[in-house]
Amino acid sequence: MAQIPYEYYVDIVTKRYFHGVDNYNLEQVLDCFHDDATLTEVTSMTVHEGRDAGIRTMFEGLFAAHDRIWHGNFVHTADTQTQAICSQFSVEVTPKGEPQFLRYENCNRFYLRDGKFDKVFVYMSGENLLK
Amino acid sequence: MQYQSSLKREQLIELAIERYFGNVDQKNIDGVLECFHDNAMLTVQTAFATHDGKDNIRRMFTDFIAANKTIIHRDFTCTVDEKNGRITANFTAELVDHEGNTTLLNNTNFWRIRGDKFQEVYVYMSGENPLI
Repeated sequence: MAQIPYEYYVDIVTKRYFHGVDNYNLEQVLDCFHDDATLTEVTSMTVHEGRDAGIRTMFEGLFAAHDRIWHGNFVHTADTQTQAICSQFSVEVTPKGEPQFLRYENCNRFYLRDGKFDKVFVYMSGENLLK
Repeated sequence: MQYQSSLKREQLIELAIERYFGNVDQKNIDGVLECFHDNAMLTVQTAFATHDGKDNIRRMFTDFIAANKTIIHRDFTCTVDEKNGRITANFTAELVDHEGNTTLLNNTNFWRIRGDKFQEVYVYMSGENPLI
């Protein structure tokens, strides 16, 4: 497979993955993952295994618990040689029934295989939302 | 902020892993500080703790090194963005204090390089922040 261009990594993270999360588009989010992918929340060592199992369940819970989700202020370290992109960003979420939003400064490490997420690691600046 | 870096891929890895972490593990504070610009900033993002300027970074490392008998950083996985002067590494930090207690952390650092030194460093930790 030819080397995937630099901009592909930024686009899958921002225009497909986080755009899908912020717009509650679960299928668009899950389409970024391989079926045997894992997503690990490192600060609480919570591991979600499988696109259609653990990862789907985790996002269903995240969407059900919040009225608003926003990711922005991205700074990326993208590496075509190792098929990886590490991203720093801000997150704002408004829990259902709560008047105030919560703000986090997080980072994700995405390791890709053939253009989709194979392993994703999340560090959160506060309490783990990805339960 | 976007900075202009003069370092190639292998030089970015050498700066972050050999010159920075190598000197931290050797407790060589002057060697560590050589990696930073005078007005650099080091932020432990998971604890919202920022050390602003080389003098404050020196104070932090002086305390961190004094608090630990042994400091080992190992098992690095580097992600390198040469054209933007950025490098990220995931690693294990193994700290042994003077009472013999061991702390293992699974951390990720982000470095933004201006010229040939660190301008901004961000640390994301899996546990309690020892860089206070």
